[in-house]
Amino acid sequence: MWAIIRIHLEPGRFQIMDKPAPTHQTNIPTKKEALPREERQKQLEFQNEAVVHLHSLYNYALHITMNPDDAEDLVQETYLKAYRFFNSFERGTNCKAWLFKILKNNYINRFRKNSKEPGKVDYDLIKDFYHSIKDTRRDSSEADTDYFYSLLHEEVYQALLSLPEEFREVIQLCDIEGFTYEEIANMVDSPIGTVRSRLYRGRKLLRAQLEGYAKKYGLNTDNDQ
Amino acid sequence: MDCKTACVLMSAAVDGEISFTEEQDFLLHLSQCKRCREEFDDAKKTKMIIKERIIRFRAPQALITTIMQLTDFNTRETEETLLYE
Ligand SMILES: [Zn+2]
Repeated sequence: MWAIIRIHLEPGRFQIMDKPAPTHQTNIPTKKEALPREERQKQLEFQNEAVVHLHSLYNYALHITMNPDDAEDLVQETYLKAYRFFNSFERGTNCKAWLFKILKNNYINRFRKNSKEPGKVDYDLIKDFYHSIKDTRRDSSEADTDYFYSLLHEEVYQALLSLPEEFREVIQLCDIEGFTYEEIANMVDSPIGTVRSRLYRGRKLLRAQLEGYAKKYGLNTDNDQ
Repeated sequence: MDCKTACVLMSAAVDGEISFTEEQDFLLHLSQCKRCREEFDDAKKTKMIIKERIIRFRAPQALITTIMQLTDFNTRETEETLLYE
Protein backbone atom coordinates (compact mmCIF):
# COMPACT_ATOMS: atom_id res chain seq x y z
CA MET A 1 0.00 0.00 0.00
CA TRP A 2 3.03 2.19 0.41
CA ALA A 3 4.02 2.38 -3.21
CA ILE A 4 0.98 4.08 -4.58
CA ILE A 5 2.32 4.68 -8.02
CA ARG A 6 4.19 2.19 -10.07
CA ILE A 7 5.58 3.50 -13.25
CA HIS A 8 5.99 1.00 -15.98
CA LEU A 9 8.15 1.78 -18.95
CA GLU A 10 7.90 0.27 -22.34
CA PRO A 11 10.15 1.45 -25.09
CA GLY A 12 8.66 4.66 -26.29
CA ARG A 13 5.91 5.01 -23.78
CA PHE A 14 5.02 4.68 -20.18
CA GLN A 15 2.02 4.94 -18.06
CA ILE A 16 1.07 5.04 -14.49
CA MET A 17 -0.35 1.72 -13.56
CA ASP A 18 -3.62 1.32 -11.77
CA LYS A 19 -3.59 2.32 -8.20
CA PRO A 20 -4.14 -0.49 -5.76
CA ALA A 21 -7.77 -1.02 -4.97
CA PRO A 22 -8.91 0.54 -1.72
CA THR A 23 -8.92 -2.02 1.00
CA HIS A 24 -10.80 -1.61 4.25
CA GLN A 25 -9.91 1.61 6.04
CA THR A 26 -13.03 3.56 6.45
CA ASN A 27 -13.43 5.74 9.43
CA ILE A 28 -9.86 6.53 10.21
CA PRO A 29 -9.63 10.15 11.20
CA THR A 30 -7.09 11.16 8.60
CA LYS A 31 -5.29 14.44 8.36
CA LYS A 32 -7.57 15.67 5.64
CA GLU A 33 -7.87 19.06 7.22
CA ALA A 34 -4.14 19.56 6.95
CA LEU A 35 -4.51 20.05 3.24
CA PRO A 36 -7.13 22.38 1.79
CA ARG A 37 -9.47 20.75 -0.66
CA GLU A 38 -8.31 22.90 -3.60
CA GLU A 39 -4.74 21.94 -2.94
CA ARG A 40 -5.63 18.27 -2.95
CA GLN A 41 -7.50 18.68 -6.20
CA LYS A 42 -4.56 20.51 -7.69
CA GLN A 43 -2.28 17.67 -6.67
CA LEU A 44 -4.52 15.07 -8.22
CA GLU A 45 -4.84 17.00 -11.43
CA PHE A 46 -1.13 17.67 -11.52
CA GLN A 47 -0.45 14.01 -11.10
CA ASN A 48 -2.81 13.00 -13.90
CA GLU A 49 -1.80 15.75 -16.28
CA ALA A 50 1.85 16.42 -15.57
CA VAL A 51 3.56 13.68 -13.60
CA VAL A 52 2.59 11.09 -16.21
CA HIS A 53 5.12 12.73 -18.55
CA LEU A 54 8.03 12.26 -16.19
CA HIS A 55 9.81 9.66 -18.29
CA SER A 56 9.47 11.65 -21.48
CA LEU A 57 10.85 14.73 -19.79
CA TYR A 58 13.74 12.79 -18.33
CA ASN A 59 14.62 11.34 -21.71
CA TYR A 60 14.50 14.71 -23.36
CA ALA A 61 16.61 16.22 -20.59
CA LEU A 62 19.14 13.43 -21.04
CA HIS A 63 19.32 14.08 -24.74
CA ILE A 64 19.97 17.77 -24.36
CA THR A 65 22.28 17.70 -21.35
CA MET A 66 24.07 14.41 -22.07
CA ASN A 67 24.51 14.11 -18.36
CA PRO A 68 22.26 12.09 -16.01
CA ASP A 69 22.78 14.41 -13.04
CA ASP A 70 22.00 17.53 -15.03
CA ALA A 71 19.01 15.78 -16.52
CA GLU A 72 17.64 14.98 -13.08
CA ASP A 73 18.15 18.54 -11.89
CA LEU A 74 16.50 19.90 -14.97
CA VAL A 75 13.47 17.67 -14.66
CA GLN A 76 13.15 18.46 -10.99
CA GLU A 77 13.32 22.19 -11.60
CA THR A 78 10.79 21.82 -14.37
CA TYR A 79 8.28 20.09 -12.14
CA LEU A 80 8.81 22.55 -9.33
CA LYS A 81 8.08 25.42 -11.66
CA ALA A 82 5.23 23.61 -13.34
CA TYR A 83 3.55 22.89 -10.03
CA ARG A 84 3.95 26.44 -8.88
CA PHE A 85 2.45 27.80 -12.08
CA PHE A 86 0.02 25.00 -12.73
CA ASN A 87 -2.88 27.45 -12.58
CA SER A 88 -1.54 29.13 -15.70
CA PHE A 89 -1.59 25.88 -17.64
CA GLU A 90 -4.36 26.19 -20.18
CA ARG A 91 -6.67 23.27 -19.52
CA GLY A 92 -7.43 21.15 -22.53
CA THR A 93 -4.13 21.88 -24.23
CA ASN A 94 -1.22 19.46 -24.34
CA CYS A 95 0.36 19.40 -20.91
CA LYS A 96 3.38 17.53 -22.17
CA ALA A 97 4.11 20.35 -24.61
CA TRP A 98 3.72 22.86 -21.81
CA LEU A 99 6.20 20.93 -19.64
CA PHE A 100 8.70 20.59 -22.47
CA LYS A 101 8.59 24.30 -23.04
CA ILE A 102 9.32 24.95 -19.37
CA LEU A 103 12.15 22.44 -19.42
CA LYS A 104 13.67 24.01 -22.47
CA ASN A 105 13.50 27.48 -20.98
CA ASN A 106 15.13 26.18 -17.82
CA TYR A 107 17.84 24.60 -19.87
CA ILE A 108 18.53 27.80 -21.79
CA ASN A 109 18.61 29.88 -18.61
CA ARG A 110 20.97 27.48 -16.95
CA PHE A 111 23.39 27.58 -19.85
CA ARG A 112 23.26 31.34 -19.98
CA LYS A 113 23.80 31.66 -16.28
CA ASN A 114 26.79 29.41 -16.36
CA SER A 115 27.83 31.11 -19.60
CA LYS A 116 28.41 27.59 -20.77
CA GLU A 117 28.12 27.02 -24.46
CA PRO A 118 26.56 23.77 -25.53
CA GLY A 119 29.75 22.19 -26.74
CA LYS A 120 30.60 20.03 -29.66
CA VAL A 121 29.59 16.43 -29.47
CA ASP A 122 32.27 14.23 -28.00
CA TYR A 123 31.71 10.79 -29.45
CA ASP A 124 33.75 8.85 -26.94
CA LEU A 125 31.87 10.53 -24.16
CA ILE A 126 28.57 9.65 -25.75
CA LYS A 127 29.63 6.09 -26.19
CA ASP A 128 30.65 5.76 -22.55
CA PHE A 129 27.55 7.53 -21.40
CA TYR A 130 25.32 5.46 -23.56
CA HIS A 131 26.85 2.21 -22.44
CA SER A 132 26.87 3.02 -18.76
CA ILE A 133 23.31 4.18 -18.80
CA LYS A 134 22.20 1.33 -20.99
CA ASP A 135 23.63 -1.23 -18.60
CA THR A 136 21.97 0.15 -15.55
CA ARG A 137 18.75 1.67 -16.70
CA ARG A 138 17.66 -0.11 -19.78
CA ASP A 139 14.29 -1.70 -19.57
CA SER A 140 14.82 -5.36 -18.79
CA SER A 141 12.39 -6.49 -21.44
CA GLU A 142 14.96 -5.41 -23.98
CA ALA A 143 17.89 -7.05 -22.26
CA ASP A 144 17.90 -10.07 -24.49
CA THR A 145 17.93 -8.27 -27.81
CA ASP A 146 20.93 -9.29 -29.83
CA TYR A 147 24.11 -7.38 -30.07
CA PHE A 148 23.49 -6.11 -33.53
CA TYR A 149 20.19 -4.59 -32.63
CA SER A 150 21.59 -2.74 -29.67
CA LEU A 151 24.54 -1.60 -31.70
CA LEU A 152 22.16 -0.14 -34.16
CA HIS A 153 20.37 1.65 -31.36
CA GLU A 154 23.62 3.28 -30.52
CA GLU A 155 24.49 4.11 -34.10
CA VAL A 156 21.13 5.73 -34.60
CA TYR A 157 21.63 7.69 -31.43
CA GLN A 158 25.05 8.86 -32.51
CA ALA A 159 23.76 9.80 -35.92
CA LEU A 160 21.07 11.88 -34.27
CA LEU A 161 23.54 13.55 -31.95
CA SER A 162 25.83 14.40 -34.82
CA LEU A 163 23.21 16.74 -36.28
CA PRO A 164 23.37 20.47 -35.58
CA GLU A 165 21.15 21.23 -32.63
CA GLU A 166 18.45 23.05 -34.56
CA PHE A 167 17.82 19.97 -36.68
CA ARG A 168 18.23 17.45 -33.91
CA GLU A 169 15.79 19.29 -31.73
CA VAL A 170 12.87 19.24 -34.15
CA ILE A 171 13.48 15.61 -35.02
CA GLN A 172 13.43 14.65 -31.37
CA LEU A 173 10.30 16.61 -30.69
CA CYS A 174 8.53 15.31 -33.76
CA ASP A 175 9.66 11.72 -34.22
CA ILE A 176 10.45 10.68 -30.67
CA GLU A 177 8.01 12.75 -28.66
CA GLY A 178 5.25 12.98 -31.23
CA PHE A 179 4.46 16.67 -30.94
CA THR A 180 2.53 18.46 -33.66
CA TYR A 181 4.20 21.12 -35.81
CA GLU A 182 2.24 23.76 -34.00
CA GLU A 183 3.45 22.56 -30.62
CA ILE A 184 7.04 22.32 -31.85
CA ALA A 185 6.87 25.79 -33.40
CA ASN A 186 5.79 27.11 -30.03
CA MET A 187 8.57 25.28 -28.22
CA VAL A 188 11.38 26.41 -30.47
CA ASP A 189 9.95 29.91 -30.97
CA SER A 190 9.88 29.64 -34.74
CA PRO A 191 7.19 29.66 -37.42
CA ILE A 192 5.71 26.36 -38.55
CA GLY A 193 7.37 26.80 -41.94
CA THR A 194 10.74 26.78 -40.23
CA VAL A 195 9.89 23.61 -38.33
CA ARG A 196 8.86 22.02 -41.60
CA SER A 197 12.05 22.88 -43.43
CA ARG A 198 14.28 21.93 -40.49
CA LEU A 199 12.63 18.55 -40.38
CA TYR A 200 13.14 18.16 -44.09
CA ARG A 201 16.79 19.07 -43.97
CA GLY A 202 17.41 17.29 -40.68
CA ARG A 203 16.04 14.02 -41.99
CA LYS A 204 18.17 14.30 -45.09
CA LEU A 205 21.30 14.82 -42.99
CA LEU A 206 20.32 11.97 -40.73
CA ARG A 207 19.71 9.72 -43.65
CA ALA A 208 23.18 10.40 -44.95
CA GLN A 209 24.68 9.63 -41.54
CA LEU A 210 22.77 6.39 -41.17
CA GLU A 211 23.78 5.29 -44.62
CA GLY A 212 27.37 5.90 -43.64
CA TYR A 213 26.99 3.56 -40.67
CA ALA A 214 25.11 1.02 -42.70
CA LYS A 215 27.85 0.92 -45.31
CA LYS A 216 30.44 0.55 -42.61
CA TYR A 217 28.69 -2.59 -41.41
CA GLY A 218 27.83 -3.83 -44.85
CA LEU A 219 24.11 -3.46 -44.35
CA ASN A 220 21.63 -2.86 -47.04
CA THR A 221 19.55 0.08 -45.91
CA ASP A 222 16.78 -0.73 -48.31
CA ASN A 223 16.00 -3.90 -46.42
CA ASP A 224 16.19 -2.19 -43.12
CA GLN A 225 12.50 -1.71 -42.49
CA MET B 1 3.44 20.93 -58.66
CA ASP B 2 7.19 21.19 -59.19
CA CYS B 3 10.00 19.52 -57.25
CA LYS B 4 10.68 22.64 -55.21
CA THR B 5 7.14 22.79 -53.89
CA ALA B 6 7.18 19.05 -53.31
CA CYS B 7 10.30 19.42 -51.16
CA VAL B 8 8.64 22.12 -49.09
CA LEU B 9 5.74 19.78 -48.41
CA MET B 10 7.88 16.68 -47.94
CA SER B 11 8.19 16.59 -44.15
CA ALA B 12 4.62 17.75 -43.66
CA ALA B 13 3.50 14.85 -45.83
CA VAL B 14 5.61 12.41 -43.80
CA ASP B 15 4.12 13.69 -40.56
CA GLY B 16 0.54 13.99 -41.69
CA GLU B 17 0.66 17.77 -41.29
CA ILE B 18 -0.60 18.48 -44.78
CA SER B 19 -4.01 19.53 -46.02
CA PHE B 20 -6.12 17.22 -48.14
CA THR B 21 -5.72 19.23 -51.34
CA GLU B 22 -2.01 19.70 -50.80
CA GLU B 23 -1.67 15.98 -50.35
CA GLN B 24 -3.50 15.26 -53.58
CA ASP B 25 -1.16 17.55 -55.49
CA PHE B 26 1.84 16.16 -53.69
CA LEU B 27 0.95 12.54 -54.44
CA LEU B 28 0.26 13.42 -58.05
CA HIS B 29 3.74 14.88 -58.30
CA LEU B 30 5.27 11.77 -56.70
CA SER B 31 3.56 9.57 -59.22
CA GLN B 32 5.34 11.50 -61.95
CA CYS B 33 8.71 12.15 -60.30
CA LYS B 34 11.01 9.31 -59.32
CA ARG B 35 13.44 11.52 -57.45
CA CYS B 36 10.85 13.01 -55.14
CA ARG B 37 9.26 9.61 -54.68
CA GLU B 38 12.55 8.16 -53.48
CA GLU B 39 13.17 11.10 -51.24
CA PHE B 40 9.75 10.72 -49.71
CA ASP B 41 10.36 7.03 -49.02
CA ASP B 42 13.73 7.84 -47.48
CA ALA B 43 12.23 10.47 -45.23
CA LYS B 44 9.53 8.10 -44.04
CA LYS B 45 12.09 5.40 -43.40
CA THR B 46 14.31 7.80 -41.47
CA LYS B 47 11.44 8.83 -39.26
CA MET B 48 10.60 5.22 -38.56
CA ILE B 49 14.17 4.31 -37.69
CA ILE B 50 14.40 7.16 -35.21
CA LYS B 51 11.06 6.30 -33.71
CA GLU B 52 11.87 2.65 -33.25
CA ARG B 53 15.55 2.58 -32.47
CA ILE B 54 16.04 5.26 -29.90
CA ILE B 55 16.03 3.66 -26.49
CA ARG B 56 13.87 5.24 -23.85
CA PHE B 57 15.38 5.30 -20.43
CA ARG B 58 13.61 4.82 -17.19
CA ALA B 59 13.81 7.84 -14.93
CA PRO B 60 15.78 7.03 -11.77
CA GLN B 61 13.70 6.03 -8.78
CA ALA B 62 15.15 8.88 -6.74
CA LEU B 63 13.82 11.36 -9.26
CA ILE B 64 10.39 9.77 -9.30
CA THR B 65 10.31 9.93 -5.52
CA THR B 66 11.33 13.57 -5.51
CA ILE B 67 8.62 14.48 -7.96
CA MET B 68 6.07 12.59 -5.93
CA GLN B 69 7.19 14.40 -2.81
CA LEU B 70 6.58 17.60 -4.63
CA THR B 71 2.90 16.90 -4.58
CA ASP B 72 2.95 15.26 -1.17
CA PHE B 73 1.89 11.98 -2.63
CA ASN B 74 4.58 10.24 -0.70
CA THR B 75 3.01 10.55 2.70
CA ARG B 76 0.73 7.85 3.88
CA GLU B 77 -1.76 10.31 5.26
CA THR B 78 -2.05 12.11 2.00
CA GLU B 79 -2.35 8.91 0.10
CA GLU B 80 -5.30 7.81 2.17
CA THR B 81 -6.88 11.19 1.92
CA LEU B 82 -6.56 11.25 -1.81
CA LEU B 83 -7.29 7.73 -2.75
CA TYR B 84 -9.72 6.49 -0.19
CA GLU B 85 -11.84 9.45 0.47
ZN1 LIG C 1 9.96 15.99 -58.04
